[in-house]
Amino acid sequence: MVASLNYLFKRVFYSVFIVIGIIVVTYLLIILSPGDPAARWAGNPRGPGAGKAIEFARVELNLDKPLYLQVVLFIYNVLTGNLGVSISTKTPVLTAIWTHMSSTLELLIFAYMIGIPIGVFLGVFSSLRRGSFKGDVLESIGFVVANTPSFWTGMALFLVFSEVLGVSSYGRIDTRLATIMGFKPITGFYLIDTLIQGNIILFFDVLKRLIPPAIVVSLYPIGTGIRVVRVLMSEALSEDYVKQAIALGVSRRTVIWDYAFKGIIPGLTQVMGLSFVYSLVDAMIVEYVFGREGLGSLLVGAVVSNDFKLAVATLIIISTFYIIANTITDIVQAWIDPRVKL
Amino acid sequence: MTIRLPTWIGSAVFTVKRVWKRRVRFRVGLIIVSAITLLAILSPFIVPYPSEGWGLIPLNNTNVSGQPPSLNHLFGTDDKGRDLFSRVLLGSSTALLQIVLVVGVSLVIGLTLGVLAAYYKGLVEYSLNYLIEVFLALPAILIAIPLKMAFGPGLHVIIASMVLTWWAWYGRVASVYARSVCEMDYVVIPKLSGLPGYKIVVRHVLRNVSPPVIVQAVTDFGSVLLEASAINFLGFGLPPDYPDWGVIAQNGLYYITKMPWISLIPGFFIMVTALGFSMIGDALRDELDPKLRRRWRLWF
Repeated sequence: MVASLNYLFKRVFYSVFIVIGIIVVTYLLIILSPGDPAARWAGNPRGPGAGKAIEFARVELNLDKPLYLQVVLFIYNVLTGNLGVSISTKTPVLTAIWTHMSSTLELLIFAYMIGIPIGVFLGVFSSLRRGSFKGDVLESIGFVVANTPSFWTGMALFLVFSEVLGVSSYGRIDTRLATIMGFKPITGFYLIDTLIQGNIILFFDVLKRLIPPAIVVSLYPIGTGIRVVRVLMSEALSEDYVKQAIALGVSRRTVIWDYAFKGIIPGLTQVMGLSFVYSLVDAMIVEYVFGREGLGSLLVGAVVSNDFKLAVATLIIISTFYIIANTITDIVQAWIDPRVKL
Repeated sequence: MTIRLPTWIGSAVFTVKRVWKRRVRFRVGLIIVSAITLLAILSPFIVPYPSEGWGLIPLNNTNVSGQPPSLNHLFGTDDKGRDLFSRVLLGSSTALLQIVLVVGVSLVIGLTLGVLAAYYKGLVEYSLNYLIEVFLALPAILIAIPLKMAFGPGLHVIIASMVLTWWAWYGRVASVYARSVCEMDYVVIPKLSGLPGYKIVVRHVLRNVSPPVIVQAVTDFGSVLLEASAINFLGFGLPPDYPDWGVIAQNGLYYITKMPWISLIPGFFIMVTALGFSMIGDALRDELDPKLRRRWRLWF
């Protein structure tokens, strides 16, 4: 117990340090790029109030103070959640990111709920048939999926749904219908929100618009699942304890799922935890293709309106999200697999 | 006087020949990649409409815009009337340029720092590993945005943002390999006999660490292309009229139902090129890393 607490503490402490490192790197990105950092932070203002805005930004970035103090104050501001007001949306940056992130997370979680079972099942299936035709076909599918740009799959699927099936999958929700029915977002996860309000029609509308992008995002965990489970499972199946179970006459299903598969769960957890965070960027791209309101469209808008503050804040928050998810994965892995504890 | 080539060229040629003989996947991949490379080299000379390929909008663009593929325009024309065939062909050189620059620069940085981290233990190792960990957490797409706002769009944004994240990955791979190499006799004994550190690092450690890391880099060519085109697709990297597959795909996004060929054709090229590179890398890794080489079948 003490050892595991020690591990937990060490892991969390280290990740806090890494988050601080990320913030420092980002600040250097702000300061070292050419031009006036204060002007960029204020969104390159023009007009009569420009001087005032730049002065305000200068105070916000503490540019009048020595460099080390600037960095420390910037870290302090970020950690206390004070990242300023977005230039394009005129709301605090953190609020803007959070409202858009909930949409991305909804897509991501839904996609992983489809993707992980399919990927794991296909991986186990292909590992049992290594070298045979079916196994090779599955492996090739995993290979092709891993090398297809997600925006391409997204556009192709969008075309199929809109032209062939006649289902519009653009956006998150039918806005006209939502206004008529008096839908209000509560948690930001529209699937849950519509259920809370008992609005079945809107629920299916949201689902209809969620499934095509979710399929695209889920291709990554499916592809990774096939490849990783295949390798891990093949190793696990040649372990001695599996051979012994087979020799004892344990049934095939029990050997595969209760003996061999149980042994690969820790490795699988880590891979899926990592790929979940990689998929966040994937989800942003797919969202942009499907016209869903989310982090992807927020950032594209930020580039158009030159919203430097929003860009920097997103960089910090997503990287921190990555570190947090990584840490959680490691802790979960240590909890499942007692060998990991240091 | 005979010219003596360094031995690693001979061994590399030998490996490639052996893999070529044994792996179908390697053969297919190499053919795809050679075709794309040939296309990239020849494209400036063979494209039918070079100026449109580089982004110039033709004068009478209203009557040629949005044409489906035909003999006159092999891949059709885009929304502004430019010949898509020329644009896609010119895009192949952009794609290869991005891949080679990103992997090359990050390989040099990553190998150097990774080997240094493993050789000089203690504080150097801790701080370099910490740096690697920090940069591994930064997604390239999100670094590209502030870089684009500060420096303006262009190839440098793509290269800088991707190198900033990819060097860390090679640094980690290199330091893992170098840690075991540093325990070898051919490193320990020169150290004991007083050879200066930089000579040991260059002559013994680097030379033994680089082959597996380079194989890793070859495996990553496809992923680099995918990530770079994703950045370009979202409009965070290259300017809007540049002949790049991601940029062209983005141009066609708004016309996806009316003129689907604008986006689907460059996307297909990205997929094929990435597949080709990944096939080569996969075959090389399977061949050089014999852990899972044997064919294995469940026996019950």
